[in-house]
Amino acid sequence: MSSDLLLLTTINILMAWSVYIALSAGALTFGASAFMAIGCYVAGILTVKAGLPMLPACFLGAAASGILGFAFGFPALRVRGIYLILTTLGITMSMVVILENIDFVGGTVGLGGMSGATVWHGVGAVLVVGAALWWVSKSPLQRVLDAVREDDEVAASLGLNVVFVKLTAFAVGSAVAGFAGGLYGHYITFVRPDAFNVLISIYAVMFVILGGTNNFWGAALGASIMTILPEQVQVMREWRPTVFALTIIVLLLVRPQGLITKRFLTIRLARKTS
Amino acid sequence: MIAGQIVNGLMVGGLYALVAVGLTLIVGVLHRINFAHTEVFMVGGFVGLVIAQAVPSLPLAMVGAFFVGGILGIVVERISFRNLNSEEASITAALSSLAVGLLMLDLVHHIWGTEPISFPLVNALGSGSFQLFGVRFVPVQGLVLALTLVLVLVLYFVIEKTHTGRNIRAVSDNATAAALLGIPVKFVGQQVFFITSALAAVAGLMFALRVGTVNSDIGITFALKALAVIAIGGMGNLWGAVVGGLLVGLMEAMAVHFGFGRLAELVVWGFMIIVLLVRPQGLFGSVFHGAGARA
Repeated sequence: MSSDLLLLTTINILMAWSVYIALSAGALTFGASAFMAIGCYVAGILTVKAGLPMLPACFLGAAASGILGFAFGFPALRVRGIYLILTTLGITMSMVVILENIDFVGGTVGLGGMSGATVWHGVGAVLVVGAALWWVSKSPLQRVLDAVREDDEVAASLGLNVVFVKLTAFAVGSAVAGFAGGLYGHYITFVRPDAFNVLISIYAVMFVILGGTNNFWGAALGASIMTILPEQVQVMREWRPTVFALTIIVLLLVRPQGLITKRFLTIRLARKTS
Repeated sequence: MIAGQIVNGLMVGGLYALVAVGLTLIVGVLHRINFAHTEVFMVGGFVGLVIAQAVPSLPLAMVGAFFVGGILGIVVERISFRNLNSEEASITAALSSLAVGLLMLDLVHHIWGTEPISFPLVNALGSGSFQLFGVRFVPVQGLVLALTLVLVLVLYFVIEKTHTGRNIRAVSDNATAAALLGIPVKFVGQQVFFITSALAAVAGLMFALRVGTVNSDIGITFALKALAVIAIGGMGNLWGAVVGGLLVGLMEAMAVHFGFGRLAELVVWGFMIIVLLVRPQGLFGSVFHGAGARA
């Protein structure tokens, strides 16, 4: 397996985790690509125009992503379920247009000149974030997240600050996506705003569903399978979205309740009024 | 000049409305979001293309898109919604329909490629323009506006005045009670999917007529905004979707008119976020949806 592929795999794992982190507090988000774009552009501007080394720039990009995630998340998390999906979709769709209209970052032409991301940066990031997620899963923090996800009204009645927990999870997820974006930009060396279209967000969510939403291993597994297999198998490379979509459809049909509902009871489109 | 932009905005808004009406009707009846809807809209253009290449007849292309779209709707219902019908599975069903949409998109890419294809029947309507109330129309605009109006009125008639429509309203009001009264809930669901997807496909064909090309991107770049429209109008509210669609179309046209260019794309999402913050039930409230869905 080439190191290029391994780096892409680690970036996709980070993207899947960014969705998983928000999801673990009950916020299903289609905003991953928007925050990836923020991280990528902030880090890229810092290295290309301000001359910073790559790693500090990526961390600052991730920080900017997290702060903006906090800012965007505040209105977005006032709504939930399907409305949250729509709001995060809106953020993603808007981000591409906004970036295309800022001439300082290259507009529709794109931003180039970043370099220096190696496979070890990706592996290191996955190890660090993975260790953090493992630590959280063993800590009382996981029970807080579980409570907020399963029933936010009960969690609130137990004295948990539901909005703050969700917002923090959303912001941390955004920061992880931002770091992935920074790495991606410095690996690919040239990015255009439409590289961060809504399909990237959809894929990130599908990685998590494919691998299972119950733990962070699942998200990493889903991302790895869907990145590595298509490169190794010719048919899968040509028919990647089809294979991907069929797998998801069959998976959801075979488990009619869906992998996602098992620990995901409060996200509903609607409670029937009657 | 501004009158021309208003007509243009109303026409685009009418297309938003046609797509949004279908989405909102499914939300009303099944309490589900059908993400495959936007790609059925896209496929409608390609169905029209296939028919138009074989037989140069626009009405035939319309009818073809209507039925193929409707059948696709039934297929989507079978795959993504029939088995995922428990209350907890609504997000799962939405994700499944998203996967179906992705599948349609990739199949279209494999058959027709990713580049836009010019639509052969655009000139069949005749070139030139005509004047009405001091506003210049090109024939395509007139056709799209008139057909949208007719389809919405027919839908209104079906929902309000026919037996089928009464069943649909009953199920959306209270599915359990409707089932107890002998209404075939499953069949009503299929009918709703057929009607809404057929409308989406016809809207997709009209979009292709307007821009002169058939494009596989329009599901994501155009029809996805209908999701914002139903949130603006109020989930499950038919008239909210129609008025919301026209409003968004007009606002986008005005944004273009006043020189915002590509930033006009932000209008619909920004408007949606503001509406959700200020008035979460949507501009027109909702007869179908309780407060629990939003909180």
